[in-house]
Amino acid sequence: MGDLFAILTRNFDSFSAGFLTTCRLVFVSFAIAMAVGTLIGGLRAAPSKALNRIGAIYVEFFRNIPLLVLIYIVYDGLARGGLRLSAFVAGTLCLGLYTAAYVAESIRSGVFAVGKGQFDAALSLGFTQGETLRKIVLPQAIRTVIPPLGNLTIAMIKNSAILGGSLLAINDLLLNGRLIANNNARYVQTFFWAAVGYLILTGAATIAVRVLEKRLVIKR
Amino acid sequence: MLGNKNWRVLLALLAVVAMLGAACGGDDADTDAGGSEGGDEIEHEEFEEGSTMAKIVEKGEVTIGVKFDVPPFGFENPQSGEVEGFDVDMGKYIAEHLGVEPKFVEAISDNRIPFLQDGTVDIILSTMTITTDREAEIDFAGPYFIANGRILVPEDSDIAGIEDLTGKKVCTAIGSTYESTLKEQAPEADLKTVEAYSDCLTLIQNGQVDAVSTDNVILTGMIIQSGEDFPLKLVGDNLTTEPYGVGLPNKTDDMREFVNGVLQDSFDDGTWQSIYDEWVGQFVEGEPEHPEDFTLDDALKLFPCSEFCDKK
Repeated sequence: MGDLFAILTRNFDSFSAGFLTTCRLVFVSFAIAMAVGTLIGGLRAAPSKALNRIGAIYVEFFRNIPLLVLIYIVYDGLARGGLRLSAFVAGTLCLGLYTAAYVAESIRSGVFAVGKGQFDAALSLGFTQGETLRKIVLPQAIRTVIPPLGNLTIAMIKNSAILGGSLLAINDLLLNGRLIANNNARYVQTFFWAAVGYLILTGAATIAVRVLEKRLVIKR
Repeated sequence: MLGNKNWRVLLALLAVVAMLGAACGGDDADTDAGGSEGGDEIEHEEFEEGSTMAKIVEKGEVTIGVKFDVPPFGFENPQSGEVEGFDVDMGKYIAEHLGVEPKFVEAISDNRIPFLQDGTVDIILSTMTITTDREAEIDFAGPYFIANGRILVPEDSDIAGIEDLTGKKVCTAIGSTYESTLKEQAPEADLKTVEAYSDCLTLIQNGQVDAVSTDNVILTGMIIQSGEDFPLKLVGDNLTTEPYGVGLPNKTDDMREFVNGVLQDSFDDGTWQSIYDEWVGQFVEGEPEHPEDFTLDDALKLFPCSEFCDKK
């Protein structure tokens, strides 16, 4: 594996630019996924059947469609219909809304993990349905939900690589890696460093999950 | 009766034997599916033992990497499911001279060199420009075709040349020479690199990019594919000269010599011209340069060593 360090030093600008773009993609998608996911999760956990169904439609749609197909629909299909989104917006929208479906389901199961006693006690104390959810149930649900959300975040970081390789042509870590690999004919060496970059991000997510778990755990 | 445990061992052994049998038995059935049509007009030589050509003949087929989405060089005909084009016909001619059947696999700009290096393919005929950087990794025979870089835009576009690309989005393929060409000649352009030229066509049709830049013949193929629904046009002067080479595994001088000989035969016996007329002549205006006058060294000079260029 000659040139392992040379490939990094000679192309550091490109690697770091790609890494930073991947960070931006991940942060924005994460924000969308958490915001929308919590909202849909709330719909799915609400007592009203109508709200449940709306949430279910969202989840079924985004869970059953491959991310790449979603990208084609949003970036290509909409553009042909007249709505031209920038690659970054289309990419983060797709990744965020897609991950949100999984976030919603995690939150829903987290809410149901909270004992029914909590709901009953809150309602009998005079909290409304909405207040119960927001002030009593969700805070407890979040504790259960941190590890699966951590997994989803890691999956999302890896899925961000799909954005770079696709029609979107976003210059993220993977795309810049492919360009470097081709221009220098050093394939293994380049993808080694690309993998390191993704590992840094997933590693950070893992550490964040552990820290949060420690802080929120109920002492038994 | 054998105990429970022994039955399982016996079953496992039978399974292994069956799998080995299937793996070994397969070889005889597949070779020589359909003899060569039209009889053997080409006399193919007996190759020296141990030479690259002899190894290919032993395999019974030559695996050729071509594009599957780039008319008129290599593209899958949707009706027949067969791949066809200029590169494909040149590949068939080389296979005839080897005396084996050609097997075509898809090789995009991004993976064609790795395919050659790991043995997935024996030959690359994939609209590949000869560059010194690539010559360090693989061997080139040829050139077998001279293309020129151009710019493709929608018919109603204001872009008239390379200068107008400032601030515009331009699409090309990962692993093609145009990434660096465009960086040099249009540094203010916003470059979008995608996996395949078919993606570039999608992007220019839906308006997400303003232009596509690559070899004129590939662009012409896109104009044909786009047809009346999305009229496109070529603009500007020739950006570059792109001599296409036949990609061969590194350091196989015997194969390089052989293929160069085959190419010369194709120039001499008119095959090259008829393949050209069928696939390219009708679509491209004017006469591009004939590859016969272009030597490998001429081609290498056009794209000199840039980054990691081991002079092995």
